[in-house]
Amino acid sequence: MFVWLGVALYNNNTRAYSACALLRARLSGSGYWRPLWSGRKLKDAYDVVVVGAGGHGLATAFHLARDHGLKRVAVLEKRLVGYGNVGRNTTIVRSNYLLPENHYFYEDSLRRYETLSKDLNYNVMYSPRGVVDLALSDDDFAGLARRGNAMLLAGIDVELMDVAALEHYCPELEPRRRRRFPILGALVQRRGGTVRHDAVAWGYARAATAHGVDIIEDCEVTGVRTNGGGATGVETNRGYVQAERIVFATAGHTGMIGTMLGVPLPIETHLLQAMVSEPVKPLLHTVLVYVSPGHGEVYISQSDRGGLVMGGHLDGFPSYTREGRWDRLEDVVQGAVELLPRIGAIKILRQWAGTNDMTMDGSPIIDRLRYDNVFLNAGWCYGGFKTIPASGAACATLVATGSAPDLIKAFRLSRFATGHLLDERGAGPFPVRQ
Amino acid sequence: MSGNVRSGTRIGPGSIRFSYDGREYSGQPGDTAASALLAQGVRFFGRSVKYRRLRGVLAAGPEEPNALLTVGEHPAVIPNMPAPQLAVREGLKLRSQNRWPTLERDVASLLQAGGGFFGAGFYYKTFMWPSWRAYEPIIRRLAGLGEAPGACDLPPIAVEHLSCDVLVAGAGAAGLAAARASARAGARVVLCEREPACGGELEFEGARIEGRDAPRWVAATLAELAARGVRLLTETALVGGSGGQLVLHSEPGGLPGASVLYRVRPRCFVIAMGAVERPIALVDNDRPGVMLLGAAERFLARYGVSVGRDLVLFANHDRVYAAATRLAAGGMRVRAIVDTRTDAQSDINGAGAASLRAELARRGTLCLAGHAVIAAEGRREVRAVRVAPLAGAGPVRKIACDALLYSGGWSPSVSAGLQEGGAREYSSGLGAFLAQAQPQWRILCGAANGHLELGDVLADGRAAGERAARHAGQSAGTAVEAQGRDEARGEARGETHGDGAPRLVAFWRSPAPRKAEKRQFVDLQNDVTVADLRAALAEGFVDIEHVKRYTTLGIGTEQGATSSVLGAAILADLKGEALDQVGTFRSRAPYRPVALNSLAGLRIGPAYRIARRTPLDGWHTANGAVLESSGLWMRPRFYRSNGDDAFAAGVAEAGRVRASGGIADGSTLGKIEIAGPDAAGFLDSMYLTKAGTIKVGRGKYMVNLREDGMVLDDGLVLRLAPDRFVATVSSGHALHMLSHFEHYRDTEWGGRAVTLTDVTEAWGVIAVAGPRSRSALASVLGPDWRGSLESLGHMDFADGKFAGRDLRLLRASFSGELAYELHCRPGIAVPLWQALIAAGLAPYGLEALDILRVEKGYLVSSEINGETTPYDLNMDGLLKLGNPCLGRELLDRPAFHEPSRPRLVGVRARDGRAKFLAGAQLTTEDESRHAAGYVTSAVYSPALGEWVGLALLARRLDEHAQITARDPLRGGDTPLRIVSPVHFDPAGERMKS
Amino acid sequence: MTRLICPFCGPRELREFEFHKTLPAAPGSAFSRTYERVDRHEHSVEHWQHVEGCRGWLLVHRNPTTGEVLETRLLGGAAAGGAP
Repeated sequence: MFVWLGVALYNNNTRAYSACALLRARLSGSGYWRPLWSGRKLKDAYDVVVVGAGGHGLATAFHLARDHGLKRVAVLEKRLVGYGNVGRNTTIVRSNYLLPENHYFYEDSLRRYETLSKDLNYNVMYSPRGVVDLALSDDDFAGLARRGNAMLLAGIDVELMDVAALEHYCPELEPRRRRRFPILGALVQRRGGTVRHDAVAWGYARAATAHGVDIIEDCEVTGVRTNGGGATGVETNRGYVQAERIVFATAGHTGMIGTMLGVPLPIETHLLQAMVSEPVKPLLHTVLVYVSPGHGEVYISQSDRGGLVMGGHLDGFPSYTREGRWDRLEDVVQGAVELLPRIGAIKILRQWAGTNDMTMDGSPIIDRLRYDNVFLNAGWCYGGFKTIPASGAACATLVATGSAPDLIKAFRLSRFATGHLLDERGAGPFPVRQ
Repeated sequence: MSGNVRSGTRIGPGSIRFSYDGREYSGQPGDTAASALLAQGVRFFGRSVKYRRLRGVLAAGPEEPNALLTVGEHPAVIPNMPAPQLAVREGLKLRSQNRWPTLERDVASLLQAGGGFFGAGFYYKTFMWPSWRAYEPIIRRLAGLGEAPGACDLPPIAVEHLSCDVLVAGAGAAGLAAARASARAGARVVLCEREPACGGELEFEGARIEGRDAPRWVAATLAELAARGVRLLTETALVGGSGGQLVLHSEPGGLPGASVLYRVRPRCFVIAMGAVERPIALVDNDRPGVMLLGAAERFLARYGVSVGRDLVLFANHDRVYAAATRLAAGGMRVRAIVDTRTDAQSDINGAGAASLRAELARRGTLCLAGHAVIAAEGRREVRAVRVAPLAGAGPVRKIACDALLYSGGWSPSVSAGLQEGGAREYSSGLGAFLAQAQPQWRILCGAANGHLELGDVLADGRAAGERAARHAGQSAGTAVEAQGRDEARGEARGETHGDGAPRLVAFWRSPAPRKAEKRQFVDLQNDVTVADLRAALAEGFVDIEHVKRYTTLGIGTEQGATSSVLGAAILADLKGEALDQVGTFRSRAPYRPVALNSLAGLRIGPAYRIARRTPLDGWHTANGAVLESSGLWMRPRFYRSNGDDAFAAGVAEAGRVRASGGIADGSTLGKIEIAGPDAAGFLDSMYLTKAGTIKVGRGKYMVNLREDGMVLDDGLVLRLAPDRFVATVSSGHALHMLSHFEHYRDTEWGGRAVTLTDVTEAWGVIAVAGPRSRSALASVLGPDWRGSLESLGHMDFADGKFAGRDLRLLRASFSGELAYELHCRPGIAVPLWQALIAAGLAPYGLEALDILRVEKGYLVSSEINGETTPYDLNMDGLLKLGNPCLGRELLDRPAFHEPSRPRLVGVRARDGRAKFLAGAQLTTEDESRHAAGYVTSAVYSPALGEWVGLALLARRLDEHAQITARDPLRGGDTPLRIVSPVHFDPAGERMKS
Repeated sequence: MTRLICPFCGPRELREFEFHKTLPAAPGSAFSRTYERVDRHEHSVEHWQHVEGCRGWLLVHRNPTTGEVLETRLLGGAAAGGAP
């Protein structure tokens, strides 16, 4: 219980969080809590500049400061902390990937999520309520089995459920119900589930700040200054900032980074919608993932506030408008009602969209970019949220030590040229099919 | 209340019985649940999300944040229905929400005592030990508002497509004026209105328009619109859309059930959706009895309901005085009018302020200028208010009342004007945001455009309608009628006046000591208070977007209608910034909450996705086939007469094919015709080996690569003529391959004279396989075909006729048996099939098909899965021919030649009878954690009496490697041995006979 | 984004079309054609197909930040007047 008095972690500028702290705040009136990350001044020079205060940027900065003792780290953010995809996703975390290069990495991330609230002293509400990948055909089963067996070989928990087991695990699904595509079973990862997305961004921002990182909002990086064989710093709308090393973690804008550095990238940016319903009492106790023929795809869970959160496939063409096409919203809703007919009378409240950097094999890129001291942490497709903790730790190691930890060696940029592709779906170099 | 028949613009005489929280109530036809219950003295309608505070009705429209009711009986309930929108009907069952055990006695309302402990975002700071999971179940039960349905019995929605020049959303004064102007100009107009009646505020304002009482003007206008063919949709709201297509949703009676979804692509869209009244933050402004001023007026005028007996009115604009007069005329006592503005700031309809106040004083109404209501008092509902001067010294008064009606102004409904262009702009005169920078095809008018005075509203509506018609006419290229002829009939000469200019002075929250800020509510549904906004700021959540996420401001079912601008303004005040600097958060479709069932449209239940069926589908169904989805196709998996389940029947059917013969429906096979002078050359570039070498009348097994070198598909290519080919592709791939061919024809190999046609559905396909296949065909096809049957070699084909229809006989085998494929016009598929059965061949399904092809090592999508190169699939021989086709270049990448790359092999159990399945991973003794490959296909082979399979295995392992099939998911480990993929009849003798 | 205007069929609902890929400014090697994309925020050059209509392939110039379609052209033989 002493740990929760939060003595160890923080300096005088940050209050530790706990139930006792809440009580103390109540008794001491207003002014008890400190700002989480704001109020830092942009300096002239840093050891490392991280561009982008999304989940990956913040986590990288946090690990650089905490694990590698770097004292002068800045995160420069064009708009606001967590304004991008980290605040727009459907909050699902899981490590049920097929390829070893992926599942070890995602599993590392899931394990970090299990203790993240403690590590950050911020409640990220990790809810291991299970992720259920539904099988609609024997081919689906074979594919799910291949993936599940690979996971079990790697020591990652997963199970294959038939209809009876699924009925027991998720009765609200009514798997025996007559459907256009009958449900035959599912691959279930019980440790997967949901995490509160804003909390991850804010938690990392607060923890990074407590370790001395400067998080600067409203600071747009407009260019990179170089001399000879390396970068010397970044041009921003607030002037030039010197940097020994630069990390780009700007999901949704990575194409611009490529242009900035003169490096064409295997990334195409697509729009992905999500939506939430009005809040109702508990109805769905796990995360359901459903992919049906005919462009039917939906993943659905119920947030702790009671709204049903759902999403589907990409809109299908590059877009930065952050306004989705209406017929895709209808596709997702059709899938949701097909899965859970009982939700038909519940109303959709809000829809939003994010911009996803899709790579030509569906797997991310964590590597140097053109220069020895410039790094790219990008191409997260629609899997960025679940990988934030592992990405932050591994990217920080790469940046701080200069060599990539084993866990991310496969995510190098050169893999497209050498053929070492990490294509989970076998969809090929077409992001719309990933 | 019984015996009292109310009268109002929306109700008629009569009695409708319904229940609320188990008690019987009655209403009149036209009543809503809110009006009927208020009329019968009901004050409590629900409890708030976080603190579970008792709540009453705030508004008279869908922006209602408190009075949300659950309709129906478990399990098929409809949650979160706003009471002011629900029409009462006989037998309606209603329940309040978010309380236990009863509304008036709720156990969790003890949470209110937590006060500051449970402020915004408190859950981020605690609930960590031992884990969130320990608290989650309770939190989830406390959270959420409406009851969770256990079933849904809503019928599918109807969907209609509308065509019009101008769509006008909103039939208040502005909308009616706009629709009339557009219609007079000759445009085809659709007018939609979310309420059951038109007129908006004209229903109660007591205005005069063009010399007539407003209701008469409304009726006359509607009649004119009808005469001009304008389609009027009531109880129909704009909900969303994109790309110029708008979606409307109609919900008669305020309940899903007889709903209709309309899709319309107007040439011009006029937004006349009015403005939503705003509350003011003051201490305990969430008490039942605190209501928006306009809502009380609507309840009186529409439903004859007096929301209280002794009222206090509180506002920052002139309208409050007109409202007081109307409410008093309705029989309520207006105890006090509290106006935040000073005497100098208010004008009160141009009449001398002093004289109107004197008049009101005579009637017993206390008028206070420069004052604010600072608190609502009463334990569970309003019993009094406290009023204090805003400047200078003066007493704090307590005024007894049973209803506080307040208004902080109006926020124009601009959401629909902020999608796809449009920019938000703050108007300090209104204390609200307007939508500017509209594209040409979208026009806001009336209150939605920031006009609040009736004359302006009508003029703005009319101008919008005229502009809309002009734009529609221009975009349609048609002439637009000259407008103004009808005006000559004298309408413009009549006087028009309503409530005058409101002279609003922005006022967002009454003064309060810090400690009381946690009871000044900004977002009523989510219990977001001024204290929460202040706390968010203190923790560095400075931007409105952060504040919204941190405090949950504006994310409730009212979608920020009453809370977002108020919250932004108070935030600006706390920050010391101007409101237009702070902005407010992005509004999006849907503009109203819409039931999932409605949005799903027609694609629910069996119609979720189409089912593609072959010409033989009827025969299969009638003859005991068990059909399964194969993509969108329905195909027979097995036939019940052959076994109880797929496994048993599949083995029986496959065995019979090899023993004597069988027929299978292969109609789903993709078929593409390629024709033209450059057809051969084009195919050369698209396939691994050259098509040009195929002779007319023959076919060849061909493989295509994807751009990146992976195998994309395989199939037969038949040459019908020197410049005409048919390519077969995997079932379900036809359109994909067609797009692939079309893309390359039109781009990199552009300009070639090649036509491509998908003929998948032009040909039914029957596979005829087994030792007796030839003789059966001979007897069915007759003497005309005897020559072909005898002379056709492997991959030869012959075209001819059967029963007068086209028939192609192809000698090809996917089973390794002597086999043929009949490609026939769909009309003769069934007769051919039946004739073959009469000739002694029995049908076999997908299960048997799979057994036969695995026994022979033929490939399907399990092996050609987008991850395998031609090297992986032992196609080295084809590659050696060196045809420079699409995908060859990228095949040269180093990774594809590494020893870890897979190779297609056959596998069998080392113990002859052990079972193994597709999806098992393969490991070697020295590397038990990292797989060296996996089993792609596995079947029980009746021909060999054991399980056989195909696998992709690292090429560094040779055929002596000791591998194990690891399947912890389904059973366990099976030691395997590596064999040739061709398990049965390796020399291919049976096919050649 | 407004509807796409197919040069052959006229203005049609977006649903009838399928996006394929964005194109680099200058055609390069097979590798760069297949793997490299250029994400231009104001002016994207793309291949689309009118799959549920004439099946023509289109070169589309679009502004992906506003959704505005700048130009659509039919590719291949059809552009030269041949059959699509």
